[in-house]
Amino acid sequence: MIRTINTNTVNSNTKIPDYTKLAIQLDAVKTDVKSKIGSEDAAYIRRVILAQRACEWTGRILLMLGFIQPLLWVVGVLSLATAKILDNMEIGHNVMHGQYDWMNDKHINSKAYEWDIACDGSSWNRVHNYEHHTYTNIIGKDRDFGYGLLRLSNDFRWRVKNLWQFVTYVMLSVMFQWGVSYHEMAAERVFFGKKKDNRKNQLSHAELKRRFFSKGARQLVKDYVLFPLLAGPFFLYVFTGNLVANLLRNLWTSTIIFCGHFTGDVQTFSAEDCIDETQGQWYYRQGLGSSNIKGGKLFHVLTGHLSFQIEHHLFPDIPARRYKEMAPRVQAIFKEHGMHYNTGGFFKQYVSVLKRIVRYSFP
Amino acid sequence: MKTLINKAAAVFFHHATWAGYWETVFQMVNPSWRDGYYQARVKSATTLNATTVQLVLAPQKRWPKHTAGQHIALTIEVNGKLVTRVFTIASGQKSRQDKGTIRLVIRVKKDGALTPYLDALLSKTASKVSVNISAPMGNFVMPNTVITNAALLNKPETSSLEQAAPEQIKPVVMIAGGSGITPFIAMLEDLNSASSDNLQSRPVHLLYFAKENEHLLTQELAEYKRLNTYFTYELLCRQKDGGVEQLLASHTDAHWMVCGPKSLYDEVANTYANLPRANDVSLDSEHFAAFPVATAQASGEKAFFSLSHNGSSLLVDNQQTLLTQLQQANRPVTYGCGMGICHQCQCVKKRGVVRDTRTGALSDNAEQLIQLCVSQAVTDLELQA
Repeated sequence: MIRTINTNTVNSNTKIPDYTKLAIQLDAVKTDVKSKIGSEDAAYIRRVILAQRACEWTGRILLMLGFIQPLLWVVGVLSLATAKILDNMEIGHNVMHGQYDWMNDKHINSKAYEWDIACDGSSWNRVHNYEHHTYTNIIGKDRDFGYGLLRLSNDFRWRVKNLWQFVTYVMLSVMFQWGVSYHEMAAERVFFGKKKDNRKNQLSHAELKRRFFSKGARQLVKDYVLFPLLAGPFFLYVFTGNLVANLLRNLWTSTIIFCGHFTGDVQTFSAEDCIDETQGQWYYRQGLGSSNIKGGKLFHVLTGHLSFQIEHHLFPDIPARRYKEMAPRVQAIFKEHGMHYNTGGFFKQYVSVLKRIVRYSFP
Repeated sequence: MKTLINKAAAVFFHHATWAGYWETVFQMVNPSWRDGYYQARVKSATTLNATTVQLVLAPQKRWPKHTAGQHIALTIEVNGKLVTRVFTIASGQKSRQDKGTIRLVIRVKKDGALTPYLDALLSKTASKVSVNISAPMGNFVMPNTVITNAALLNKPETSSLEQAAPEQIKPVVMIAGGSGITPFIAMLEDLNSASSDNLQSRPVHLLYFAKENEHLLTQELAEYKRLNTYFTYELLCRQKDGGVEQLLASHTDAHWMVCGPKSLYDEVANTYANLPRANDVSLDSEHFAAFPVATAQASGEKAFFSLSHNGSSLLVDNQQTLLTQLQQANRPVTYGCGMGICHQCQCVKKRGVVRDTRTGALSDNAEQLIQLCVSQAVTDLELQA
């Protein structure tokens, strides 16, 4: 099968790899790492959860002490934001991917986990785990490519609204948890628009609406009513603290996710090309549809190891902390097949994302 | 109060239980602390013979009182994974009251998931090791016994036995096979120490089948016989002593209780079915199916298994995935990618073995999450969406 590579690709000399061999090699990496998964990984995720609890409570307490010294409030905000980031990324995202289901733990599994974010976990599971991970970067099937808001390749017709899509992008980043939450509603045209034929929805619109409002309301009430009320006289300290912590989390997660999928070199695919895709072709698409960010150990933890987006897309249910040791082998395999392994420092990747957003603002 | 706290945990922390939210923190101090489980300290682990291990556990104080004959689920962490197996408690209430301990007699299977852990226990019994256990379960107990923790059981107890007048109490025939001796040894312990003469006036006869020289706990049986006139037993070997039918022929006015492998149970059940109606025999049973040793590679010959899905059952084969077959049967299933990525079709397997179609690996027999789209049946299954 010949795959059409989009015109915006930098690597015009990309050769067609031997898909069968690619699948065998990547499968081998997976099998190898899978055999090592065990008590270390279980201990690791429990340690991260422990750190999350520590950050969360430090944050919540320090927010209230802001009246003694404003600096305490600042530290509290940072601590709470870190807790939310850990919860959403290294714990929530990865646990809900089923990476730790093998542990048979009642709480640490993809069915039971619910995260500290406005988006209902099961809604995210449907759109992210199923659509985005199965149909990664297939135009028309993976709504994560631009989220239906941004034009990020020539696959989409230019519209006037794309002129100010940089502003749209900034707004999306600021409101990211609501964007994630609204994602399935937009896809299913729950509130507006004509329903698309190609969606086999498993839940009624009424049920989707109910869950959207229920989780969203719970999140709002918890962050902006209950916790502030618990603080009594320090209501405003906690209210604003939660607001800023949520904002920081939104900006961080949005930025990391954009760097993982919308850097300049990331490729898109068309639905016709992906009919009867083999495992090798699937790997190929996953590999070229993602990009990595280089960084230190703490940086990787705070991104939920989504800084290894390529490895995550190749092996979505391997515990994310293992991506680091898989990366050199994956990179070598990509090189052998002449595939571009898209990686770079944070600033390089982020600038590349911004350029892409600006570039496709124009026809 | 507890539900209120858990409600708060859900509102403030999106966690189903308050204890669950704090679990990892508690585990810093006490590694075997686990929400929804009881803890038990391992007092000793000894080998009874080449294939049998005796585990003495001291459950925590709040563990409910058990009734002889009941079983528990034992959960231990093996290489990061929680593995659960069900065992009959091979000791009575008396040991718990006197020494605070319960005993498990475990047949160690080659390649069994618990085996490496039990080996480790045997080598370092002195150190303080804790395991997790469930509340006592089951209603395979001596007739005319009130189960002390009946409130914990899902099924309401049939009260007919409790109402039976003393003069209607029939002799009991215990039929045990192999490690199926465990509930009976527990019952004998409590009978032996029972305060009521009423219970001890009833003859109890044990037919104990095992392979030659592999009868367990024979010293204890001999001791109970020496101490109590109501108790007699026979150590039997199926090759030598023939079938169950003729042995039971002389016990037709009795309450039969059978515990052992399915083959033994089937034989007893057949005998029971063939009895003339006039004979007033009751039959209680607890049998364990030996899980077929399946090859981990190819699906092999086509075979059919029964699948219980959310309570209703259907027949599935071992060639297609469970998802395909559930869809064909028009069962309501959630699904997504169909290739094991998205975990949309995931559900809880209560028991049974499945094969992962991607790797050919076989699952554990205990409760765990499986993905329907990459699972094939290897044994009968029970699923819960």
